[in-house]
Parts: sequence; structure tokens; C-alpha cells
Amino acid sequence: MSDMGRRSRHAESPLARREFLSALGRAAAGSIALSTLPPWTRAALAAVGPVPELIERNEWPEHWETSLTALGRSCITSNERFFVRSHFPVPKLDPTAWRLEVKGLVQTPLTLTLAALREPPVRETTATLECAGNGRGLYALPSTSGTQWEYGAVGNARWGGVRLSDVLERAGVKPEAKHVWFEAADRATLPSVPPFLRSIPIEKAMKDVFLAHSMNQVPLPRLHGAPLRAVVPGWFGMASTKWVTAIRLEAAPSDNHFMVKGYRYNYPDVDPTQTEPVEDLRVKSVITRPLEGATLPVGRVRIQGFAWAGHAGLRRVEISTDAGATWRPAGFMGDTEPGAWRTWATEIEVLSPATITVLARATDAAGEPQPPQARPNGSGYANNSIQQVTFRVAA
Amino acid sequence: MSPRRGSGRRLKAGVAVALAAAALSMLALQPHSAPTDPPKRRSVYPAHFPDGPGRTVAERSCLVCHSATLVTQQHKDSTGWEKSVKQMETWGVKLKSADRDSLLTYLRSRFGPAEPKQH
Repeated sequence: MSDMGRRSRHAESPLARREFLSALGRAAAGSIALSTLPPWTRAALAAVGPVPELIERNEWPEHWETSLTALGRSCITSNERFFVRSHFPVPKLDPTAWRLEVKGLVQTPLTLTLAALREPPVRETTATLECAGNGRGLYALPSTSGTQWEYGAVGNARWGGVRLSDVLERAGVKPEAKHVWFEAADRATLPSVPPFLRSIPIEKAMKDVFLAHSMNQVPLPRLHGAPLRAVVPGWFGMASTKWVTAIRLEAAPSDNHFMVKGYRYNYPDVDPTQTEPVEDLRVKSVITRPLEGATLPVGRVRIQGFAWAGHAGLRRVEISTDAGATWRPAGFMGDTEPGAWRTWATEIEVLSPATITVLARATDAAGEPQPPQARPNGSGYANNSIQQVTFRVAA
Repeated sequence: MSPRRGSGRRLKAGVAVALAAAALSMLALQPHSAPTDPPKRRSVYPAHFPDGPGRTVAERSCLVCHSATLVTQQHKDSTGWEKSVKQMETWGVKLKSADRDSLLTYLRSRFGPAEPKQH
């Protein structure tokens, strides 16, 4: 597997650059204003800067999606390209005045400064965050509610900070504490809108949850929760509360709107009072190359992307070029961390001009594969349907 | 074919230079501080409510908490929009009965169910 990865990596760079630049050119030319201009003007405009890599699904609050071109650049998604999803106006917190309170069912309540949380040892972890609504816009439904995310409300970053379990052990968790609530600083414009106040079970909190004050080796950007956010690996992004101000230990889970009404699977045949909460990530893969509509030269064509899974972990990725009749395995590249996605890649040989549709299917370690079509639910959550990409191979 | 390919190369070369410069400037900035400017985006939905009866009510009611794109990207049936408007009223949006009717008619007619997507 690693042999394949090495060999392909050496072979890929000219193709990668060509494919990316041609996609960039297409994207620039595809915008209405640019396409009406003569080529030399387009070239001049393109030289001013690249096509923005975030798709603005909602201007404010920020619902900004990473384009597939941008997502495919690297296994670690840069901060500038990382998707943004906020519910309310982004708060501006003074890092010197900010405090993290640890309170509720603890032996010793704590008040921690950012400086104290930044003291060594700073721990790091790589984790993938995916918005629960990622893929909502791709459900084949005539009527959908919410932001129409497609493929890129997902990203993978290196988070630096402290383990939540270390903070909780310092405070001493009382035996009756069963849930960890994350209080946050963001508030809606109207005071009658409930705050964003979610909780996670104590078992999850003690296992692998992170309190991050850095993202990809720089202080956590404001859009991503500065000065401190939770990172809950293996759960959909809504669990990873941003702008955290307090950690509250409680016997019961939060009864906040974003726990009991929002972020629940409303399937048509399920009693609305018995809905399951959105928590664990669903096994999924995304194809980052070729891009939809790309034209590539005859020969070896590299198919590549990322794949991730919930608590079970990822087992394999396979691709199909015959609409799912047969599948062949892709190889994994690079290191692996439990909460992080993995880069996968394979090559297909195309000997003559053709139009090809490729499918990628990930399977988790429990044997659960991505479905051809995920089951639609009222709020369009967790769409892990198998993605397909159609491209052209020309002489 | 060949002249077009030539201009394509120039375009690519120009883009490559710009990208290299952008990458270098980002590298130079990164270790010191987190960027303060929001990243550049491209918008994909209408940024304003389209004309029509009910537009003023939509602007007055919806734009308190979110931009118009949250609405202009959606396609919902009557039940869907009624549910959304009811939720917003629960959260503090004040609507007189006539304005509610006008808003619902506007939302239904402008942002009704889409054609089923092909996948």
C-alpha cells in the first residue's frame, strides 16, 4: 500500500498541477462576468489572484464551504480554506480578559486563564470536523430545509491545546456528574433566541475530547472559536462548540434547543418525540480528483480523495467505474490518527478517449459501507451517499 | 486550436505566478499570528430578496438575524415555510397577521419546491 502511495506521489505532480490549473481556469471562465471578456483580460484578472476557495452558502452568520478544488490540496485543510459554520454573530473575546470556568458537579471549581491553558505540555491531535448538514444540498428531494451544503462542509486540522480529561481530573468530577455542558459566548441578535448550549456524555469527554487554542500551529482564528473551542473527534461538528467560556458538569444532558429539537434525525416514519440525536460521524469518502467535468489525457488516471468514519474507524475505500457493479480497492497514504480522515488514492488505465463516471465507497471497521443513497431525513443531516464524479479522457 | 492553447498557457503561467506569490505571502504570515481578514468567498445564491409583494416584510423580518442567502437558496413547500416562519416567531420575530400571510405567500411563490434532483 505504501509502495503504491510512494510511486504515485512521484508520478503525480505534473498532472496535479495541470489538472488544478485547468480547473482554476474553468472556474474563472465559468463566472458570467469573466466569460464575456476577451482572453487577455481574463488572464490579467486571473493573475490578480486565485478564485476564492470558499463558497458562501450564507453570508452571515457564516456558512462558508470549502470547494473541492481547495479541499483536495492537502491532507491538512489550511485555516483560510477550512469551512465555517456559525449560528450567531461571531463574538470578539479579549484573550487576556477571557477565562474558562470549570463548574457544576466538580470537587474544585476552576477559573483558568488562556495563559494557563497554553502552558506546556501543549498537546496536539489531528481531527476531522464535518458539519452535520454536509451534503444536505445533494439529497434528491424537491423540498429541503436549511443551508444547501454540498461536499465541502468538512475539514481536517491539527489542533493544539489540552485534553478535556486532564482539566476534568484537575477539577475532580463528582460521581453523579454524567454530562459535560459547553457554555459559549456567541449570542443571537434577538434575546429570545436560545443560546447554543450543547453537552456530551462524560464517557466521551474523558475519552478523546480536546480543548483547542491553536489550529494548524497558529492561535485559533476568531471564526473557528477563539480563544478556545472543543474538538470532539468522531462526532459531527455541532458537538465541537466554539468560543467556549465554561465547562459545566451536570447529571443530565443539556435540554437546549440545539440538543432536543435541532440536530436530531427526523425520519418520516419515526415518532417526532422519539428521534435519535445526531452524534457519531457516518462513514464517508469524498473524491477530490478528478474534479467533476475535468478533461484528462489518455493513460493512467489518478483517483484520489479522503475518507473518514465515526467511532468504529475506517477500514477501506473502493472505487467503481461501472456504476457499482464491481469495486476495486484504493490504497491509503500517510499517517493515521483515530479522529482524522485518511487520504486514499488509486489509478485506472484509460487507453482511449472516454467519458468515465467514478464512484468511491468507504467502509468502516464494523463493516458498514456508505450507502448508494443515504436515507433522507427532515433536516437533511448526515448525507453519506456514495459520491460520483464524471470526467472525460481525451487523446 | 494552437493559438487558443497558447493563450491557455499564458493564463496558466499567470495564475501559477500569482498562486506562488500568494502561497509565499501566506507562509510568511502564518507563524506570527492568525489572519485577521476573513478569507475570500464566492457567493452562489442571490444576495437580495427578489421583487414582489411581501419583499419588504421579508427584509424587515428575516434580515434581523441572517442574510437573505439563507432564504434564497432554499426550496420548501407551504408546510415547510409555515414551520420556518412559526419557528422565527417563537424566537422573537414580530409579525402582524396580514404581514404573516403576505410573507408566507411571498416565500411559497418565490422559493417553492424545486424540481427533483437527478443523482
